[in-house]
Amino acid sequence: MIIRSLAICLASVVSLISYALAAPVDRGDTPGLIADEFVQLDPAFQKQMVLYRTTEAPGTVIIVTADRHLFVVQGNGRALRYGIGVGRDGFTWQGLLKISRKAEWPDWTPPPEMIARQPYLPRFMAGGPGNPMGARALYLGATVYRIHGTNQPDTIGTAISSGCFRLVNDDVSDLYERVAVGAKVIVRQKPEL
Amino acid sequence: MWTTRSTANGVALGILVATTIVAAAATDERNGTGTLKQTINRGAVLCGVGTGLPGFSTPAADGVWNGFDVDFCRAVAAAIFDDSKKVMFVPLNAADRFKDLQAGKVDILSRNSTWSMSRETQYDLYFPAVSYYDGQAFMVPKARNIDGALDLDGSKVCVQDGTTTILNLAEYFRFNNLKYTELKFTNLDEVSKAYEAGQCDTFTADASQLYALRLTLGKPDDHIILPDIITKEPLAPVVRQRDNDWMMIVKWTLYAMINAEELGVTSQNVDEALTSRKPDVMRLMGTEGRYGEELGLTKDWAARIIRRVGNYGEVYDRNVGIGSKLKIPRGLNQLWSAGGIQYAPPIR
Repeated sequence: MIIRSLAICLASVVSLISYALAAPVDRGDTPGLIADEFVQLDPAFQKQMVLYRTTEAPGTVIIVTADRHLFVVQGNGRALRYGIGVGRDGFTWQGLLKISRKAEWPDWTPPPEMIARQPYLPRFMAGGPGNPMGARALYLGATVYRIHGTNQPDTIGTAISSGCFRLVNDDVSDLYERVAVGAKVIVRQKPEL
Repeated sequence: MWTTRSTANGVALGILVATTIVAAAATDERNGTGTLKQTINRGAVLCGVGTGLPGFSTPAADGVWNGFDVDFCRAVAAAIFDDSKKVMFVPLNAADRFKDLQAGKVDILSRNSTWSMSRETQYDLYFPAVSYYDGQAFMVPKARNIDGALDLDGSKVCVQDGTTTILNLAEYFRFNNLKYTELKFTNLDEVSKAYEAGQCDTFTADASQLYALRLTLGKPDDHIILPDIITKEPLAPVVRQRDNDWMMIVKWTLYAMINAEELGVTSQNVDEALTSRKPDVMRLMGTEGRYGEELGLTKDWAARIIRRVGNYGEVYDRNVGIGSKLKIPRGLNQLWSAGGIQYAPPIR
């Protein structure tokens, strides 16, 4: 397992101030914003069954960050594909993990590293529609990374997070039902030159 | 047969010895062995292609050839001449293609040809590496809601007569204890028409052909090619035996394209790749080692291929994949590291 960056999932819009040079376009997380349910995803990022060859067992989650896709292997040469938002430059990692825990409308406790970087963030935010973690979270191993929902559906298909994978709330709720604790998660990055 | 073979081998050995002596006399002259020298003197690669298979080789209205097989010859030309246009395309029909190559009518055959043992032994040819893993598959109307080929019990199957396809069909259904009725037609277009007219429940042919023929149906999106592949049809470029220098160029051209995809080098970032300090990328780009020169080419041979034609994934997507009308999933042709079986030995 290779973890290139130990950055924390969520990045605040306010972080633009400190990262103005490093991340010129950053529409990070906005605590308190309520998701616009009417955002229409690009067809490429809508949930759909696709033909997908893999040697991994049904139930395995494969994340291909370059294409902004998350696959749940179905067997029979098929996979269910979801559109995702991924980590921005410098906040990418790849490897093999397992789903360690699942939660509905998760609370958000920004970890100390994140508070140190962005002191203005709330120390705790209860789960709910305004929470950047969205409707569900699937925890990845013992890392700080999650597969979670979002209160900003228009960020699907972009690379703005600090290493987490976000889906629209409908999709993450659907994924939550399909993927068991213990399921294997494979994260693939585009190779670097 | 044995007598014939040993005579042929004896002659070959003679040629080999002679070649070795010549090579020893002028060790720098790696171009001395046949095809590469002729190609350089001619100023173009002679490339045998199909007479028209969408996605693989089709002549465009302006006379410019397009397709996956076409691009492979362009890649060889790029490696040699740093110019992907230095190719003369020679359309060859299925029946004569191997004899034409054997007779020296072309330098490479790049024409959706299945690599099989008898084709190498009978025609004295060599398939350097698999460029496209094809195989026999089934097309069904989407509305039938079928998940896989094992659900085809009791089907009426449209198939081309006089092909290995029809034999494979029989074997597959018998082996899996499935009943079926055959509807045979002489050519592939007739099979397709019968299927479209609803005369049969499914249509079997090689997957690449099914994807191409699906485009000709009234409503292509109403049909799906099932993911089951029931035979091995490894498509590969072909060269003559006993010209190892040429064979090596053809083989490593393909492997350079596959390695480039794996390393993330594309036609778009090739300049950036030339400045990379990553050892794998440096060996590919020729900024470390002299791998290209050892092939009889230049150090930047692979950079030329990637710049002029692209890496394997780019060529696949543009001609037969998501960037094309065919939209064939990568499937078996995905890289080994992503669930497929495309795998190139390392350049080192």
